[in-house]
Amino acid sequence: MKKRIALLMAAAMAAASLAGCGGGTSTTADTTAGSAAEDTTAASSGNAGGDTKLTMSWWGNQVRNEKTQAALDLYAEQNPGITIEGQFSEWSDYWNKLATSAAGQAIPDLVQMDYSFIDQYVKNGLLVDLKPYIEDGTLDVSNISENTIASGTVNDGVYAICAGINAPSLLYNKTLLEENGIQIKDYMTTDEFMDVCRQVYEKTGYKTNIAYYNAGAYLDYFMRGYDVVLYGDKKMGGTVNDYLPFFQMYETGIKEGWFIDPGVFAELSIGSVEQEPLVYGSGPETMSWCAFYNSNQLTAIQKAAPEGMEIGITTWPSADPKKSGYLKSSMFFSVGAHTKNPEEAVKVLNFLTNSSEANNILLGERGVPASSVISEELAPKMSDVDQEVIRYINEVVTPNCSPINPPQPDGASEVSNLLNQVQEQLCYGAYDAATAAEEFFNGANNIMNKK
Amino acid sequence: MKDNKGAGLKHFLNKESTAGVVFSLPFIIGFLLFMVVPMGISFYYSLCDYNILSPPVFAGLKNYIKMFTDDKVFSQTIGVTFYFALVSVPLRLIFALMVAMLLLNTTKATGFYRAAYYLPSIIGGSVAVAILWKRMFATDGVVNHLLGIMGIQTSFAWLGNKNTAIWTLIILAVWQFGSSMLIFLSSLKQIPVTLYEAARVDGANKFSQFFKITLPLLTPTIFFNLVMQMINGFLAFTQCFIITQGKPLNSTLFYTVYMYQQSFEFYNTGYGAALAWVMLGIIGLITAILFATKKFWVYTEGV
Repeated sequence: MKKRIALLMAAAMAAASLAGCGGGTSTTADTTAGSAAEDTTAASSGNAGGDTKLTMSWWGNQVRNEKTQAALDLYAEQNPGITIEGQFSEWSDYWNKLATSAAGQAIPDLVQMDYSFIDQYVKNGLLVDLKPYIEDGTLDVSNISENTIASGTVNDGVYAICAGINAPSLLYNKTLLEENGIQIKDYMTTDEFMDVCRQVYEKTGYKTNIAYYNAGAYLDYFMRGYDVVLYGDKKMGGTVNDYLPFFQMYETGIKEGWFIDPGVFAELSIGSVEQEPLVYGSGPETMSWCAFYNSNQLTAIQKAAPEGMEIGITTWPSADPKKSGYLKSSMFFSVGAHTKNPEEAVKVLNFLTNSSEANNILLGERGVPASSVISEELAPKMSDVDQEVIRYINEVVTPNCSPINPPQPDGASEVSNLLNQVQEQLCYGAYDAATAAEEFFNGANNIMNKK
Repeated sequence: MKDNKGAGLKHFLNKESTAGVVFSLPFIIGFLLFMVVPMGISFYYSLCDYNILSPPVFAGLKNYIKMFTDDKVFSQTIGVTFYFALVSVPLRLIFALMVAMLLLNTTKATGFYRAAYYLPSIIGGSVAVAILWKRMFATDGVVNHLLGIMGIQTSFAWLGNKNTAIWTLIILAVWQFGSSMLIFLSSLKQIPVTLYEAARVDGANKFSQFFKITLPLLTPTIFFNLVMQMINGFLAFTQCFIITQGKPLNSTLFYTVYMYQQSFEFYNTGYGAALAWVMLGIIGLITAILFATKKFWVYTEGV
C-alpha cells in the first residue's frame, strides 16, 4: 500500500513538473507551448456556439490602449456574438511578440502594422490581401485618398489600411520657453536648434535630449536634409563624411554641457512616452526641454506631462527641414493571415476606419484619420491638443513636404541598434564625432551587405 | 490460448517496472516534447540562416564562424557574463554560509528568520523586484537617499556608470542567497556535535574549529552549491533584461540577453540558436572543470 501511495505521489509530482515546464518554456514547438502564443491561439480558435472571438494587437501608450479597447468593446456590443480581445505592448516588445506568434501560425486576427515592417510580413504571406473585400464592399475606402491607399499597397495587393496620418515633430516644453522668453520657430535648422539648446541651458538649466538611443528615424530625416537616402541597396546611402554633421551635433552638446547626461537613460525605459525626459524627471539636470516624436503622440505626451506644462509642436531640425519633411501613415491596420474569420476581421477594420462612433472614441490618437469624411466630422469635437496636431499637419508640414523614403530593408533594426551603440560611445566620451561617423558607416555597411 | 494471453497481459500490467514507466510517462512525454524536440530544432536552426518569418535555409557552420571571427559584442558579453558569474557566485556562497552559521542556533525566532532570509531567493528573480532594484539605484532612489542621511550627499547614477552598473546586478544576485543557505543549514546540522566537543577538550578555539571541522565537512555541500549556482549565474537573464538592458556601453550585457536580442530583436534567430549552443558548451566545460578539481578539495570520507 505504501508503495502505491509513493508511486502515486511520484506521478503527481511528475505531472506538476510537466505543467510547470509547459507554461515556462516558450519554444518554437507548434503546439501551444509558447506562453506568448498561448493567448492568441486560445482566443482565435474559440469559435463554439456561434461566438466569434477575435484578437487585435497593437503597440502604444496608455491613452491608445484605453481608447482602442473602448472602441472594440463598442463593436462587440453592437454585434452580439462577437468579442474582441485587445493585446497591447510597447513598441520594442511588440515586434518580438508578433514575430513569435507568426512563427507559431497564430498571428492575431487584426494587427497594427508599421511602414518599416510591411514588406517583410507581406513577403512571408502573413497578411491578408484586402482587395477582394474592398471590391465586394465589406471594406469601404471611398473616402480615403489614393496616395494613402497606395502606402499600404505591396505588389498590387492592399495589405494595410492607414490608421492615421502624422509627421515627425519636435515636442517641447512651451511653458518653460515662454516664461524665459525663448522663441521657437517652425523649420529650425540644426544651427538654430543648437542655439535654442544653449539658451535654454543657460537660462533654465534644462538640458536637451536628441532622440538618445532611439535615433533611427531622426537620422533618416536628418540625412534627407543633405539629399542622402539612408538605406541603399545592400548598403548605406552617401559617404562617411555625410554622416559627420549628425554626430558633431552630439559632440557639441556634450562639450558645451547642454546635452542630457546619458546616465539618466539607464533608469528609464526608452521610447516610453510616460518616461520621456521632457515630462519625467526630478529636475532640470535630468530633464529635457524637447523630445523627438511623431505628431500623433502629442496627446499622449501632453497627458503624461505634469500639471501646468503645456507642450508645443514644431518640426525636427535638419540642415534643410523643408527638404527633410514628410507625411507618413503613423501606422496601419492589417488582417493576419492565420485568422479563421477574415470576413469578421475586415468588418472590424471597416468599423475602425469609417464609423463615426468608433472615431468619436479614438479621436485621432493614431494620427489624422485616413477617411476625409471622418476627419472633417471629427475636427470640431477634438480637444485643443488634437486640433493643434491637425493644424500642424495641414498648415506646417503639408505645404513643404516630399514623399517618404521607401520602407526600411531587412537589417534596418540591426543598423538602428548599431546607431544607438555608437551614439552611446559618443555621449559617454569614448568616441569623438569622426570616430563615431566612421564606426557607424562601416559597421552599418557591413550589416547591410550581408543581407 | 486466449486465457494465456490475458494472463500475460495481467502479468505485464502488474509488473513493477510497468507501473514505474506508466507513472513517469507524464514526465517523459513532457521531457521529450518540451526539451528534446525543441533542443533538436534549435540545433538545426543554429546551422541555418533563419529570421523567424521565413523558413530556415541551411548555411552550415556560418553562424559559428561569424561568432568567433566577426562579432566584437560576442567576446564582450562573454567577458561580462564570466565577470558576473565568477564574482557573484562565490560572494553569494560566502554570504549564505555566514547567515546559515548565524541561524544554526535555535531560538524561538529562528523559524521566522529562516523564512525571512529565504524569501529573496523566491521573489528575487521576478520582474517586480528587478523594477524595484532599478528604482532603488536611481539618481533619486533609496540608495542615494540613505547615503544622504549618512552625510554623503550625492546624485550618482549607479546604473548610468559603466563601472558601477554591473555591481547593482551582482548585489541583487548575492541577495538571493536563500536556497544555498538552506542547503548549508541542513548539512551544518549533520556535523556531529562530538567532533566539536573533542575539539574543545583539545583546546581549539571557535576559529580553528570552523576551519578544521566545519569547513572540511561542508566541502561536498559547497561543491554542490558551487556547481548549481555557477550554472544559474551563467544563465542569468531577467536582472539584466529589466534593469540595465546591457547599458551602459554593453558593460552589463549578459550573454543570454544578447542571445535574445539577436534572436528576437534583430531577427537573426539562427545566429541566436548558435549562441545558445556555444553557451551550452561553455557551461559543460566549466562543470567538467569543477568536477575535475573535486578530488583536490572535496572531503568525501564517511563521517
